[in-house]
Amino acid sequence: MKEKPEPLTERVRITNPLTNASPHLQRSVEQEIDESTAIGEVYMRSLIRSQLRLALVVLFTLMLSIGIMPIIFIMFDSVTLFRVLGIPLPWWILGVVVYPFLLVLGWLYTRQAERAERDFAALVERP
Amino acid sequence: MNPSYGIFAVTAVALTTIAIGAFGLRFSRTTSDFYVASRSVSPIWNSSAIGGEYLSAASFLGVAGLVLAYGADMLWYPIGWTAGYLLLLVFVAAPLRRSGAYTIPDFAQVRLQSTTVRYTASLLVVGVGWLYLMPQFQGAGLTLRTVTGAPSWIGSILVAFIVVINVVSGGMRSITFVQAFQYWLKLTALLIPLFFLLHAWQNDGSPAPATDNQWLFPVYNSNSEGIYRTYSVMIATFLGTMGLPHVVVRFYTNPDGRAARRTTLIVLGLLGTFYLLPTIYGVLGRMYASDLITQGRTDAVVLELPGRMIGGTAGDLLAALLTAGAFAAFLSTSSGLTMSIAGVVGQDLVGTRFGKRFTGITALRLAAVACILVPLTLSLTAERIAVANSVTFAFALAASTFCPLLVLGIWWRGLTAKGAIAGMIGGGLCAGIAPILTIAARPQGWVGLLLEQPAAWSVPVGFALMIAVSLATRSDIPANVARTMVRLHTPERLDVDRRF
Repeated sequence: MKEKPEPLTERVRITNPLTNASPHLQRSVEQEIDESTAIGEVYMRSLIRSQLRLALVVLFTLMLSIGIMPIIFIMFDSVTLFRVLGIPLPWWILGVVVYPFLLVLGWLYTRQAERAERDFAALVERP
Repeated sequence: MNPSYGIFAVTAVALTTIAIGAFGLRFSRTTSDFYVASRSVSPIWNSSAIGGEYLSAASFLGVAGLVLAYGADMLWYPIGWTAGYLLLLVFVAAPLRRSGAYTIPDFAQVRLQSTTVRYTASLLVVGVGWLYLMPQFQGAGLTLRTVTGAPSWIGSILVAFIVVINVVSGGMRSITFVQAFQYWLKLTALLIPLFFLLHAWQNDGSPAPATDNQWLFPVYNSNSEGIYRTYSVMIATFLGTMGLPHVVVRFYTNPDGRAARRTTLIVLGLLGTFYLLPTIYGVLGRMYASDLITQGRTDAVVLELPGRMIGGTAGDLLAALLTAGAFAAFLSTSSGLTMSIAGVVGQDLVGTRFGKRFTGITALRLAAVACILVPLTLSLTAERIAVANSVTFAFALAASTFCPLLVLGIWWRGLTAKGAIAGMIGGGLCAGIAPILTIAARPQGWVGLLLEQPAAWSVPVGFALMIAVSLATRSDIPANVARTMVRLHTPERLDVDRRF
């Protein structure tokens, strides 16, 4: 004769403890950055470094173009004496050409800096 | 020239300035409107305003005067004033806007978590501002004397008076409108007479200026002193622009970091367009107004040329237009400077002071009045020095103190409060004592040169002190530096925590 099981007041679910553990959550990069984890720091440092590199490229371009002008003018008489439309070349360079040059340099920088930020955002927001 | 045209021009500019300011007042209601125009100014408006504010007496009158007197080596000034914006763009613009602070002292406090740094920076803002305001008032006096024969103190006081009215009534919002209008006024005022002057020059048989090789040569001297002077001017102007209080305060009025960059780029274009013109005035002056050199009034060359080359009513009208432009230059630069100094001092005044409670707006108004009196008094009493030269001292001071603070603060995590204070005080003392000694003792030779153009050594002193002391006090690096860096550098579209 079958023994009658004792009635249970409550059902008890018995499972393997591993399946019971909270599942592995995908952490977003924003979270990593917010919590200043090692991963977040790597992302931030790479952003800052790429923007700083861009700024330094502009600085060095400026030093190697406008910055060395005085030395060129002093060392090479032919440059200072050369005339375009009757006006000495240094006047053209310092009075006219410099300004569009600075604007183009600024435009290139802005384009690159915005691109770097877009790339960074895309990297961070990647699903 | 007929003084009535000149008086009319000055009156028109003054009234328009006050009228536009009053128009802005209708929109200025909150404290945020007063300080930063509620941060909602579009890049076009903002860049015109920056251009209007930046092109001071030194640009409108000073450059032409310097070119007339000294020639090609003076072209480095406008180049430096423009290239300074490029460096501002690449090193400072977007992060500074993202820092979310109002002024340089705010930035210093946010980044370094120290009120001592804040007060040091506030003091320096006032110092740089005064050095820059003084020549504006002097230039105003000179202009009014040239066109109307009135004593110079009238022009200085007139400009100071209008500026105070504007700042007190409308704050940043109304200033933005005024500045934007004044950029275009200044460009027009320089451009239209130039066509007539060049036409007159052509009718005259297109003579070449009486030149000598020294005037044509683009470096002061080909000896070591000439090289030092050229590079020192370059360093001061390239690096000083980012530290000028009235320039920096404009960046907080941009909606976000990207807009701050775009604004700066447009400013580069606006400045480049403007600076093509004063050189031509200087060269024309060499042909038609070279006696101004011996009179020591080269700053007046822009105003004198129409009368000398064209004459009659046409000449008077063109001179009146130029006078209007010059006055716009004094008004806009001094308004911006006063606004930014008052913004800094006003913020430190908010709260209970002298037994009274001040609201934000009252504090700003009181500070504006107080801040304008000192440079006005100085300009009325001090001996006149060339406008562009005294502006250079302001640039050197800003380059030796705020440039290291901003660049290191934005890009280097290792900066500490003690390091920043040491650098600002050290660099500031070097660049601040130099003009005093130059004016008081007038030393000659290399010593005189080093004091007259301090930037080439005072900027490295500022940077070196800031870095060395920061390294020595490494344990004081603010705990939240990582969070600050996130705030300064991440694009706004990313949803990260920007709180401090």
